[in-house]
Amino acid sequence: MATKTHEIRDPIHVFVRLDSDERRLLDSRPFQRLRHIHQLATTFLVYPGATHTRFEHSLGVMELATRIYDVVTTPANLLYDSARAVVPRDDEYKYWRRVLRAAALCHDIGHLPFSHAAEKELLPAGYDHERIGREMIEGPVLRPVWDTLKVQPQDVAKVAVGPDKYPEPLNTWENILAEIIVGDAFGADRMDYLLRDSHHAGVAYGRFDHFRLVDTMRILPTSEDGSAEPSLGITQGGLQSAEALLWARYLMFAQLYLHHVRRIYDVHLKEFLQQWLPGGRFHTDVEAHLRLSDSEVMSGLRDAATDPSKPGHEPARRLLKREHYRLVYEKNPADQERNRQSTRCVYEAVAGEFGPAAVRLDSYPAKSGSVDFPVYTRNERIESSLDMSKTLKEIPTFGVDYVFIDPSLREKAKDWLKQNRERIIPANGGTGDGVA
Amino acid sequence: MEWLERAGLLLVMMRRLREHESWCGETHIQKAAYFLQELLRVPLEYRFVLYKHGPFSFELRDELAGMQAEGFLVVQPMGYPYGPSLREGPAAEVVLKRYGKQAKAYRKQIEFVAAKLGDKRVVDLEKLATALYVTLEGRATGQERAGRIHALKTHIPIEGAQTALAEIDRMREEAEPVAC
Repeated sequence: MATKTHEIRDPIHVFVRLDSDERRLLDSRPFQRLRHIHQLATTFLVYPGATHTRFEHSLGVMELATRIYDVVTTPANLLYDSARAVVPRDDEYKYWRRVLRAAALCHDIGHLPFSHAAEKELLPAGYDHERIGREMIEGPVLRPVWDTLKVQPQDVAKVAVGPDKYPEPLNTWENILAEIIVGDAFGADRMDYLLRDSHHAGVAYGRFDHFRLVDTMRILPTSEDGSAEPSLGITQGGLQSAEALLWARYLMFAQLYLHHVRRIYDVHLKEFLQQWLPGGRFHTDVEAHLRLSDSEVMSGLRDAATDPSKPGHEPARRLLKREHYRLVYEKNPADQERNRQSTRCVYEAVAGEFGPAAVRLDSYPAKSGSVDFPVYTRNERIESSLDMSKTLKEIPTFGVDYVFIDPSLREKAKDWLKQNRERIIPANGGTGDGVA
Repeated sequence: MEWLERAGLLLVMMRRLREHESWCGETHIQKAAYFLQELLRVPLEYRFVLYKHGPFSFELRDELAGMQAEGFLVVQPMGYPYGPSLREGPAAEVVLKRYGKQAKAYRKQIEFVAAKLGDKRVVDLEKLATALYVTLEGRATGQERAGRIHALKTHIPIEGAQTALAEIDRMREEAEPVAC
């Protein structure tokens, strides 16, 4: 039984509190490893302040998720029968609160070194960080913690990874809890990373009024065309906070997450890892995962960068000595109007002229910025957020396509591209089929 | 199937749904795509999980967002009590012209889905699609399936689940899936 409350100072939430049973999770190997996983991978090489880790982010997600849980389950805030029916009572209510807090702490424990930077290419088919995290939550390493907390590991895993990544279907209540953590509109994960990344990187755009937003969150039936399915929404009073959050996301992607130097660093990092890791891939077993963090990879990078005989010397040198490939082309509206495959055309032409080894293509597919969620209006109706807010409907999409080139060839390539642009990007107004 | 082929097929499917009186919100598209793939074996290659209003594909949601970004689709608010509708955008015609032909091979299946689901409300679509999901799971049989639907989606009453299951059983008999 928990005997004590522990307080941890936090730059975003001031204090994060947890009890001595939860402290066991905090002290576990999987969670302590997060101290050595940068929240924003190599971004600190571009924005020097961005050295924060997934350790404090996960604490922040727990704090926010708990606040949301407490607000949306307060009896006075349960405005509809379908919401009242789905919220458990008494001991079960307390049980799920514990599950939610544990899941929030654990939602990132499966992250590889440098997080998303190279996940897809360096894991076997069918694996991602959510699967590794789930296997760790449900495996023997954390079993004693769950026994102490008296929660079922499967419940924690479901809520931590969400319906898209858990192999079994989640019921309505479990889906709502997962939405509190990893929800697309205003999950605690998103709220915390925007606020925290903004704070540490020194990019002000990530801020929004999260206090107001959390206070206005409710479990609401979507009321879409007769459906009573409950999900997370807000009251009308929170609409501007939600608009601010979704704009913050757009701006942070534009300014920080898709910054072209950060993107090429990820490319060089992936190339390094393919040469440096035994077999060119990450292992998926829990012990190997726990042994490897950013610290070990960083040490390998520094070692390889100065020694040409070491595997991965070339990409390590490019990454750490700022000899990274330089941007020579990025997708733009004028070229897109001319030819939807403009980036692909440029990449193939530049690679043909200067050799494929000197050129890199990087793409982040365009995503819509607008999100639909239920809003409880002042005249006591449920309406779609996109009906209620022109701002939410108009949030721009974000996505990038970049072509990079060896720094020694940059000026030559730029001149060549300028002279041959008309030929390289034929005007056909066609529809791209890869990079668009 | 490449994503632009899928985009073309989805645009054709949406046209057919609208011809059958659908207001074509995301739920209509999600559920129609689910029936196309899981009941009629059209190889869309989406992964469906139980989520918003029943079976739901996060990959399809991302592709619909990508289609908005490319101007193939636009969001049009419908006003209370509907959600936003997805309509053809300025670039839809180009995709339909170039990739809509792919959909011809699945014309019968698309027509079947549009005829069965086009005039359904969201409340009915979620019951029917969840009923198909639970049926295809194969865990529960006969009347047990209604209990499983209610356990997973508590706002769907047992009687509503039973009605949906009866309709799904009929639909499965009538459906002509793509030959393997």
